Amino acid sequence: MDMEALIVQLGRLQETALSELREISATRDLAHWRVQYLGKKSELNALSKQMGSLGQEERPLFGERVNEVRKALEEAYAQRQTALAAAEQALRLAQETIDITLPGRAVCKGAIHPISRVIQEIEDIFLGMGFSIVDGPEVETDHYNFELLNLPKDHPARDMQDTFYLSDELLLRTHTSPMQVRTMERMEGHIPIKVIVPGRVYRRDEDDATHSHQFTQIEGLVVGEGIRMSDLKGTLEAFAKALFGPEQRVRLRPSYFPFTEPSAEVDLLCVHCHGEGCRVCKGTGWIEILGAGMVHPRVLDMSGYDSNRYSGFAFGMGPERIAMLRYGISDIRLLYQNDLRFLAQFARA
Amino acid sequence: MKVSYQWLSDYVNLADVSPQALADKLTSAGLAVDAVEPRNKGVSGVVVGEIVSAEQHPNADRLRVCMVDAGTGEQLQIVCGAPNARAGLRVPVALPGATLPGGVQIRRTKLRGVESNGMLCSAAEIGLETRLLPSGQTTGLFVLPTETPIGEDIVKVLCLDDVVLDIDLTPNRSDCFSIRGLVHEVAAILRCTHSFPESVEAPTGTGEAPIAIDLATELCPRYETQVLDGIQQVASPLWMQMRLVAMGIRTIDLVVDVTNYVMLEWGQPLHAFDADSIAQSRIVVRQARDGEALVTLDGQQRMLTRDMIVISDPEKAIGLAGVMGGENSEITSSTRRIAIESARFDGSSVRRTGQRLGLRSEAQQRFEKGIDPAAVTPALARATALLVELAGATPIGPAVAVQQKESATGLRQVPFVPERCREALGFAISNDEIENIFHALGFAVRSQDTPWLVEVPSRRPDVTLTADLYEEIARLHGYDNIPSTTTVLPVTPGMRDRRQAMLARARVLLVDMGLYEVRTYALTSPDALAPLAASYQPIPLLLPMSDERRVLRTHLLPSLTEVAVHNLAHQVPGGAIFEIGKSYLTTNLPLREQPREREVIAMLWFGESEGTLYEKTRRYDFYDAKGVLDRLLAVFGTDVSYVRSSMPWLHPGRSADIVADGETIGVIGELHPDTAAQFGVARAVYAELDVALLLATYQGEIQAKGLPKFPGSRRDIAIVVDRATLVGDLLTTARHSLEASGLLQGIGVFDVYAGEGVPDGKKSVAISMFFQDAERTLTDDEIEQLVKTATEALRVDHDARLRS
Repeated sequence: MDMEALIVQLGRLQETALSELREISATRDLAHWRVQYLGKKSELNALSKQMGSLGQEERPLFGERVNEVRKALEEAYAQRQTALAAAEQALRLAQETIDITLPGRAVCKGAIHPISRVIQEIEDIFLGMGFSIVDGPEVETDHYNFELLNLPKDHPARDMQDTFYLSDELLLRTHTSPMQVRTMERMEGHIPIKVIVPGRVYRRDEDDATHSHQFTQIEGLVVGEGIRMSDLKGTLEAFAKALFGPEQRVRLRPSYFPFTEPSAEVDLLCVHCHGEGCRVCKGTGWIEILGAGMVHPRVLDMSGYDSNRYSGFAFGMGPERIAMLRYGISDIRLLYQNDLRFLAQFARA
Repeated sequence: MKVSYQWLSDYVNLADVSPQALADKLTSAGLAVDAVEPRNKGVSGVVVGEIVSAEQHPNADRLRVCMVDAGTGEQLQIVCGAPNARAGLRVPVALPGATLPGGVQIRRTKLRGVESNGMLCSAAEIGLETRLLPSGQTTGLFVLPTETPIGEDIVKVLCLDDVVLDIDLTPNRSDCFSIRGLVHEVAAILRCTHSFPESVEAPTGTGEAPIAIDLATELCPRYETQVLDGIQQVASPLWMQMRLVAMGIRTIDLVVDVTNYVMLEWGQPLHAFDADSIAQSRIVVRQARDGEALVTLDGQQRMLTRDMIVISDPEKAIGLAGVMGGENSEITSSTRRIAIESARFDGSSVRRTGQRLGLRSEAQQRFEKGIDPAAVTPALARATALLVELAGATPIGPAVAVQQKESATGLRQVPFVPERCREALGFAISNDEIENIFHALGFAVRSQDTPWLVEVPSRRPDVTLTADLYEEIARLHGYDNIPSTTTVLPVTPGMRDRRQAMLARARVLLVDMGLYEVRTYALTSPDALAPLAASYQPIPLLLPMSDERRVLRTHLLPSLTEVAVHNLAHQVPGGAIFEIGKSYLTTNLPLREQPREREVIAMLWFGESEGTLYEKTRRYDFYDAKGVLDRLLAVFGTDVSYVRSSMPWLHPGRSADIVADGETIGVIGELHPDTAAQFGVARAVYAELDVALLLATYQGEIQAKGLPKFPGSRRDIAIVVDRATLVGDLLTTARHSLEASGLLQGIGVFDVYAGEGVPDGKKSVAISMFFQDAERTLTDDEIEQLVKTATEALRVDHDARLRS
């Protein structure tokens, strides 16, 4: 066969091969094409073997032409393969599309109780001010719950706290204040004392929207030398700002607790109207949130701290009240009913 | 206490101080005013009128047609339905155009065809509290005294232009339990003068005192009495009635009204006896005898005890001091001679007596809080003067007064150092201002040396210490003037102790694992605890308020099942909850000392899990609970083993004690079906950890190791064992067999199977082991040898066969 005819055959081969390649639409069909046109038994290989029949001077020319065709076919193959793979992947991914609005798999619900939330937050504020936390017994003696707090037997102020007695001398503590005395006794005259006492307390009240026979309190106690009433105000103001925001203010009103002198009720700007006056604060712009005062000299003396040398302040607040104000809860019983539909609202951080 | 603004203004000039302004000032000074209530509930256009005639209505049996002179110049025809309407009565007349409480408008109208030009009013219709009026005035027309001027505005006549301040008195301010005491306080707050024009000298009768007094108990420091004759039982004057009503006191009859009026004015409770019922004209104030009985004014027979004070004559008790009089000495319409008592009684005794008998009178409250010793005599004089003036009574002889010898003492002097006051309060205040405040309070500064001596009047028993004076200075200077300062104290680190930190962590962890924190009541009922058949008897309250809350819980399970029951009944199909709480344990009842308060983390899984797209809803089971416990214990760093529990209230096959270092620190298990039924939950899993015991397992600080340099190898085996064999025991055996090698770094179960391909009564357990040496890579032969060791041990201990 002469070279002319072979080259024409080569050209036709290339054309046929490329045309067939364009027709292929799936990568799995590419292999067959590759075997057919670029494999050992391919027409191209067969043609290239014809080289022996050509003259010396024709061989390089023909060889060059064969190589050109092979290269063209290989390149076309590679291109086609890339294109087909890309298209196929795109198709596959499209088919794998899921509904991204369906719920996620790790569904774990749970919530910290709103009272605990408030207690933890208050604890953290006072921890930041260098207070430590102490816990005490819920079953107390009359001695610690009342007498050492300057509330002797038959004192009319005992009416302020109706008490669950377990025996003549034992009772369910009506406040966390006995821990003032217990803490001072444990500290054996050392200063400074800076503690808060969160805990459950009990009073003989009928349960209703605003009363609960069991509730929680957080007591605070600071004892040292030269502690002033203005320090009490400053501390509570810092606390109020931390809890309710920097625009908060505190107002002290004279009041009476047997174990503090002077004593104060502490109001904060109403958390709802910020002092404008609304239903929550009964139009006054203020809400009562704490009882406080300077530790009564008799309490200091009875607890081993000479009231001529040491002074201190104490305060007590109700996490329930704060939780109710903060979360807009109107019935305290919701906090003790533990309905999961209610508690689920506190799943948020 | 309810306080009449008008009454106060009799003694202190309030022209420039509105009731609301006064309320605000009182509140800032420590007398919290809860409410400011006008007496007038919406009355206008109502005047005094006299019924000239009252004829039967032609068309209605129950109506009367009255002609009324209301001072309008002509007689008004008014139709009235009140049964007591009759000619000659003076009554409130609402003229056409008048307004009554509740916004009722009065117009000319026709009633059953007869013209009616206004309305004749009852007490309720003009907004008077009928519960405070004498029984004759509560229904029908409100009858005014015959001398009431016709045409006069009823607002004026009934003092409805008064305003009542409701003060929430703190128990220390006994001085403010009276008008006079409040006048002192108001004058001090306003820094103005006050005056009490009434004479405190009583008209004294002629002759000898007709009565003698024996003070036979120290619980009565002073007792005075005045006998009066010729009492006329007329109605109290309207102004007195209205003042009593304004201050929330019921008006009854003249004698009682006068004693109450003087009590409100002076803070000194008084009592009136029928003087002729006192045998031998001798009053004996003594302690009651145990078992002594007295029928009190309310007709009830009271059993008395030794610590109660009784007023008696030589033959019998006639009254309970400070609490209630006796029926046998009650004043009746036929009484001519009365004895008025003005005395001081021990507050604690009066308080106990009242509590024991379930009584709480105005008098009792005043005695409890302490009365002014200086008021006893003038209050009696004031009552005598009023009875002479209003009841036409004549005093017989002088008042008789007896007191304990040692009870006469001088006024208290309290030391005071201005500089220390400024230091204690943290604000600057001049010595002059301090003196001004003391002066305004009526406190005398007796010595200006250091310390000052401040003399406190007897009406202020609450001021005994220097700190009490600080409070007086602070509250009258104004708490608002106290600056905010910071304590000057050494720096202290604020941090949670280990228990507190662990509990805070546990709370977050449990919540993140899907549990809801609950807070339940510590008080419960013995019935609720009964299903536990616990070894501890619950501690009972002495005086429970309800059957549901009468003992302290000995266990948290009933509290948590109560939550479960509530939720299941309210469309919550199930859930996981926990509480960090206490139970109260004693082996010594009746209780003599503080019980042990056992703190636990208690958890309960009840009902069904919330189904999801990926996992169907299913009942919570043992392994839900155990998974949470495993994680919790891992965080606490506590190694535990689960040992079959013998708690009778748990499912015997599905419960375990949680044991650490040989000590049971908790329990986990499905409730016994009987227990679950008793608690009203179908199935539930409970788990609890004892916080103190858990903390005792603390391993100390973490000791970190470096990372291994050589790779390890994992080998899995599947063995066939009896179905009853515990996987935990298999793992223990394998672990022990390889302990000596020191090469087993981890072992776990990853499949348990029974069924086709496994013989009946057997199960297949797939165990995975991980081996590693710190010094080199282990060879396959070595590892095979280790696996063989384990397999052999499993065969020997548990008859385990390798599954082919």
